[in-house]
Amino acid sequence: METPRPPGTRTAPERNSTLSSRLCLIVDDSRIIRKVSRRIVEAFGFDVDEAADGAEALTFCTGAMPDVILLDWNMPVMDGLTFLRRLRAMPDGDRPKVLFCTIETAVDRITEALAAGADDYVMKPFDGEILHAKFAEVGAV
Amino acid sequence: MSPEDFDRLQALVATRTGNRLRRDRLNLAEHRLGPVARRAGFDSVDVMLAALWSKPVASLAWEIIEALLNGETWFRRDRATFRTMTEDLLPALSQARPGRTLKIWSAGCSTGQEAWSLAMAALDLKLDVEVLGSDLNRIALEKAHQGAYTGFEIQRGLSAATMVRWFQPQGELWTAADPLKRVVRFERANLVDLNATSPDEGRFDVIFCRHVLTDMEPAARALVLEGLEQRLVDDGCLFLGADESLNGDSLAFRPVSGRRGLHVKSPTFLQRAA
Repeated sequence: METPRPPGTRTAPERNSTLSSRLCLIVDDSRIIRKVSRRIVEAFGFDVDEAADGAEALTFCTGAMPDVILLDWNMPVMDGLTFLRRLRAMPDGDRPKVLFCTIETAVDRITEALAAGADDYVMKPFDGEILHAKFAEVGAV
Repeated sequence: MSPEDFDRLQALVATRTGNRLRRDRLNLAEHRLGPVARRAGFDSVDVMLAALWSKPVASLAWEIIEALLNGETWFRRDRATFRTMTEDLLPALSQARPGRTLKIWSAGCSTGQEAWSLAMAALDLKLDVEVLGSDLNRIALEKAHQGAYTGFEIQRGLSAATMVRWFQPQGELWTAADPLKRVVRFERANLVDLNATSPDEGRFDVIFCRHVLTDMEPAARALVLEGLEQRLVDDGCLFLGADESLNGDSLAFRPVSGRRGLHVKSPTFLQRAA
């Protein structure tokens, strides 16, 4: 059972207490998209953390490598593709399943993302059923 | 729609298709019949039904029946089933039938995702394949034939890599590519009345008939299974939905243990037929 989290505490100690639960990092500059995605992914049984751009996400991954990353493309500071290439070059950076989640629907863009090491690609708008199918496709659920 | 209207619809659907229209579907039925009434030029569903009961017109009756059938589907539905199909069955079948075109039937294909999924799986293995998709619902079948899906539909079950390999964006829709379209065709068929609606196709190596029997009356299920048995080669395979079982509806098939949904012809039935 999940216990309420006191304000200001990090999630790491909780994760240690429930070893089976896995971590999904949602990287998107839209707070609303992060909130919607969080609700969906939490229903799959994941712990969720958020980052507002690629640089923030990289910092997060240096501390704790997530199991799954939902990644927007266009973000300030560092875009998703740049983040993905740096992540894959990090130690253990090949471990997270990375799902691009973006409004870009051009085939060239999708191909580019997959070539850069994305495990799958979700076109916005999406819903819970699509995300669940995509998680299943990469073996995350 | 009155409860009496619903009772009569229930009877109509059961007689023509073997499907059980559950009473809790009344609101859904009303919702689905709205567009049918508009297309046919009636002011409301109630007016349309009153007209149908007073002077039954076959074409209108069928439009109504077809709109009431459950057509929800998606790409590669039941992943375990597709794994069995692509990793075990298709390679084995291609070895067992060298130089012959593999014939697969998606029976009750609705909007076609299953038929396309089967074709993609076979073509990925470089197999020579023909896929037939059949359904009762002509509107669903037209969409299947177009092979054009929204962003929501195309992403439900397909990886992006598979999507861009086999589908092309056309405006807002993703459309099946020509190599895929060449091996898939769609036809209307009523599974409880196969002789009347479906031309003799020869027999199939594999039949997918998933999430179709669940909504049917027991007697209709037996009838459908009998028809499928006649159209399946003796060493062929029948896939039902992962959670569907025969429940003694038919002696023609037996489940294969450890492979959810997979059925083969019963040895006893083969002997009797011989």
